[in-house]
Amino acid sequence: MFVQINDLHFSYKGAHEETIKGFSISITKGEIVSLLGDSGSGKSTILRLIAGLEMPNQGVVVVNDCVCCDDCQFMPPEDRGVGMVFQDYALFPHMTVEKNIRFGLHKLNRKERNARVEEMLALVNLTEFRHRYPYELSGGQQQRVALARALAPKPALLILDEPFSNLDTSLQHRIRDDLRRLLKQTGTTTIFVTHDEEDAEALADRIVYLGEGKIKKQIMTENNKTFNPQIPCFV
Amino acid sequence: MNKKYAALGISAALTTSLLAACASTDETTSNEGSDDSNVVNVYSSRHYDVDQQLYKQFEEETGIKVNVVEGKSDELLERLNTEGESTEADLFITADAGNLYQAKEAGHLQAVDSDELESNIPEKYRDTDNEWFGLTKRARVIVYSKDRVKPEDLSTYEALTEEQWNGKVLVRPSENMYNISLLASFIEVNGVDEAKEWAKGLVNNMARDPQGNDRDQAKAVVAGEGDVAIMNTYYMGLMLNSEDEEEKKVAEQLGVFFPNQDTTGTHVNISGIAMTKASKNTENAQKLMEFMSEPSAQEKFASVNYEYPVNESVEPNELLQSWGEFKEQDINLSALGENQQEAIRIFNEVGWK
Amino acid sequence: MNWHAVKRQLNGWAILSFLAILLIVLPGIVVLVELFAPVNDNWQHIQEYLLPRYVRNTLFIMVATGVLTTVIGTSLAWFVTVYDFPFRRFFKWALILPLAIPPYIGAYTYHGILNYTGVIQTTLRNQFGITVDQSYFNIMSIQGTVFIFTLFLYPYIYTITRAFLHNQSSSMIENARILGRGSWDIFFTVVIPISRVAIIGGVSLVLMEVLNDYGVVKYFGIQTFSTAIFSTWFGMKDTSSALKLAGTLMILVIAILTMERLVRGRKQFSYASTKVKPLKPRPLQGWHRYAVFAYVSLVFAIAFVIPFTQLTAWTFLTFDTVFTEEFWQLVWNTVRVAFTATVIILLFALIIANYTRLFPSNMTRVISKVTTLGYSIPGAAIAIAVITLFLWLDDKVLDLARALDLSQTFVFRTTLIMLIFAYVIRFLAIGYNSIESGFEKVGKSFTEASRMLGWNTVQTFFRVDIPMIKGAIMSAFILVFIDIMKELPLTLFLQPFNFSTLATQAFKYVSDEKIHEAALASIVIVLMSGLLIFVSHKVLDKEAD
Repeated sequence: MFVQINDLHFSYKGAHEETIKGFSISITKGEIVSLLGDSGSGKSTILRLIAGLEMPNQGVVVVNDCVCCDDCQFMPPEDRGVGMVFQDYALFPHMTVEKNIRFGLHKLNRKERNARVEEMLALVNLTEFRHRYPYELSGGQQQRVALARALAPKPALLILDEPFSNLDTSLQHRIRDDLRRLLKQTGTTTIFVTHDEEDAEALADRIVYLGEGKIKKQIMTENNKTFNPQIPCFV
Repeated sequence: MNKKYAALGISAALTTSLLAACASTDETTSNEGSDDSNVVNVYSSRHYDVDQQLYKQFEEETGIKVNVVEGKSDELLERLNTEGESTEADLFITADAGNLYQAKEAGHLQAVDSDELESNIPEKYRDTDNEWFGLTKRARVIVYSKDRVKPEDLSTYEALTEEQWNGKVLVRPSENMYNISLLASFIEVNGVDEAKEWAKGLVNNMARDPQGNDRDQAKAVVAGEGDVAIMNTYYMGLMLNSEDEEEKKVAEQLGVFFPNQDTTGTHVNISGIAMTKASKNTENAQKLMEFMSEPSAQEKFASVNYEYPVNESVEPNELLQSWGEFKEQDINLSALGENQQEAIRIFNEVGWK
Repeated sequence: MNWHAVKRQLNGWAILSFLAILLIVLPGIVVLVELFAPVNDNWQHIQEYLLPRYVRNTLFIMVATGVLTTVIGTSLAWFVTVYDFPFRRFFKWALILPLAIPPYIGAYTYHGILNYTGVIQTTLRNQFGITVDQSYFNIMSIQGTVFIFTLFLYPYIYTITRAFLHNQSSSMIENARILGRGSWDIFFTVVIPISRVAIIGGVSLVLMEVLNDYGVVKYFGIQTFSTAIFSTWFGMKDTSSALKLAGTLMILVIAILTMERLVRGRKQFSYASTKVKPLKPRPLQGWHRYAVFAYVSLVFAIAFVIPFTQLTAWTFLTFDTVFTEEFWQLVWNTVRVAFTATVIILLFALIIANYTRLFPSNMTRVISKVTTLGYSIPGAAIAIAVITLFLWLDDKVLDLARALDLSQTFVFRTTLIMLIFAYVIRFLAIGYNSIESGFEKVGKSFTEASRMLGWNTVQTFFRVDIPMIKGAIMSAFILVFIDIMKELPLTLFLQPFNFSTLATQAFKYVSDEKIHEAALASIVIVLMSGLLIFVSHKVLDKEAD
């Protein structure tokens, strides 16, 4: 399996009860998985654990054959090759759109880097906004910058935290279709968190229902029928 | 990446260079101070421009560099206490014999055997063991309003506690060293009980709660808040020669009275110099001490602050001469230090703020 | 917790933070040890005759100053944010300027203005032949002390409250207006309650300054805790009792800080959302307009224009005698020592704040608390601790030199290093507070985003964290720099050979009763601080837009 998570346990400092009580999941390459649950169900915490922003009490996280975390090692987030789109996007306010996207490309040489930036700008349709600062963009544009920034270093796994919560409803519908197309186009394995069932159905291949730190049930969506994980996709 | 390291490098370099810059100015002091080179390190509680001129003159004559820490007496003394044998200071210059006594008692000083000092400075202004030497003296006198008080009505410090002065006496707060030494001298002359009676009586006769400095007492007399004030002579000199016309006017309305002329004498205190036990530049230090006691230096050193020089071959400033000669309290100045703690306690007990 | 969790805590950030914390803890320990030492005779005497008066005076000054600064600070903040009146834009920053005048300079200036030979009484006497009752003009009293502290410390409350009202309250105030509430009503029922946290933050800063002040109370001869420490130490030569008093003072300060934290609780000074709409000032009509203008001008005149003018006049009076070549040396000394100490403080503050933010745990919470406590350690205790430490250090260096057979050694005591070390202990808390709140405001998500894009904590620190809190770093720099520039007791006590600063020079002249001569050094301090305040105001204003 491309992403393998086994028996993840986690509790916040000072809390008596564990927030995550033995969470396990396997994800195939290119699959889009939605974690759906009420607030407090621990869905965002799972994302942070996968990203390496929190440290689990126990459990194993493997992404693309790389052991990110088990009982004897903990890989810091910067080494995991996981990309993340934050709920509030966290675009660096002191950098332009272009610089935000360029930020994560330090492992490439200058030529590759420029090419990749162009590619990402074109992908999210923001080429003419490259010199704008984040606060000069609309909410939808900001989200696209955040997505481009996260996808630019070609992460093995992309995680999105409540990607639609900051958008108004009309925008939300259009964007989630765009988003799905984009993720499929790039073949990005994705986990995203939402509390809106409609969002989950529209975007995901599989929905994982969470409650009290555990998986309640899983279902395949309509989308899944058109999805063939065996065909690799490249950008 | 490079930018980041550059930023880090620059900030580190900036800090170290600044630190180095800071340290370098002192290096001369510390490094040279550790062996017998051409410096002398002074802790001084005097901060007059004329002092700087004298140090400069000394440097030119002898080639010995004078390094100075200027501070308040009690702070410098406490610094000596803390630094003990490791102090960098060679000389300690301070006002008030009590402070010099404290330094001696704490074992910070050493005796200096110098014929020149002994001939320049009369015995009564020197420590019995030659551990400290007076440089200037000042008298703590009664200042009165020329309009309202006839000098004939004044006689002694003790008389200020009498009924006729009720609500008319002005004096500064008790934490001041001049007051502590004044009371310490009374303890020596009259004993603890009488000294306490005096302090109590004076508190009783005060025109207002003690506040301000000596100059403020003078102003309060002229403003009519009281009729008489206890203050040091040199403040009268400073006020009479002030740049501020109004201060001059105040001083001109006041008379200076030397109390206890028929009894125990007027209270006199000194400012003085002493060599630290830990001194690493003893020869240089002794040279500076002798230099300060010489007539030429004595004249400048004393007259800038309207103090009386201890060297008897030097005439005091004209203004001081115009006030006439007076009988001084005849006590060993060490007593001011010995009785210091007792004096502080009495002040607290009688409620002299 | 498994072992890699422990390893995660022990990184470069942690080690540097621990070293910095050690500095702060050192003098604290000196004080606390002495607090539990057996009492001596002097202590009995102090308890019987002095302590009641010290406590009474200190409490009176604290309460009165606290109330008055709150009234003046919040009312000014309210007027400036909510109403439009002549010169509002000027007053907005000018009202901070009194902060540039250190209270001790304000104290002797006002005494110089009001006393018998001061400009007011002289004019009355010479021009109009009026001699006034001295008791009306007596500022060297406990009420006078409160007056001075109020004038020169209210800006702490003004700035914090104004920033809060400006950014946070528009919707609430506009709602209250729509609901038909009058201005007075809104002030008391809306403004005061919602800005409670900001006000308390400002008051606790004011009280801290009051408790640790040495210059004002010393000059006025008012017996408070801080003068008591020094007079016990120097006068009674009783270090032990002095440290006991210092310890008591420290506990008092810790109590205030804890209270402030408790009241603040989980509330932050700013709301999470950055999409707040600044309040639009409303023009005032009729006599109200002039009443508000008159009030604001009056405060500004008394707290800045008058003392500044008087200092200028005295500077002209004594300029020729005081301004010598050495004066430039004084300015240079002041600037370089303050600059160096400030840079070091900011480096420490950034490291500790970043560490406690990135790795939250019980340990980092303790570190954060301890850092802020540095503020509570009385100057006297820092002085004793620093001298003791450096004597020990020099001893070790000497041993080492002997062992290595070196002829010359470097001596650390009575150097600027010792003084700067003391400044760092004293003022780290101020730098840390601003930087911590800067980090609080930007939150953690930018840092996390950077790490998700492949940068480690150190790289992220330079590329993201520092640029994000530039404003906070700038204001921390200015606050600390000004505070060091006007610091007195430590500088007086730890100054190296041939070294004076503007502040010590001014204070030496004042303690020699040469007030006019002190004016030049004082006015340079005021001008430099004023300039920095102006710059920081402009920068922060730009950031707010």
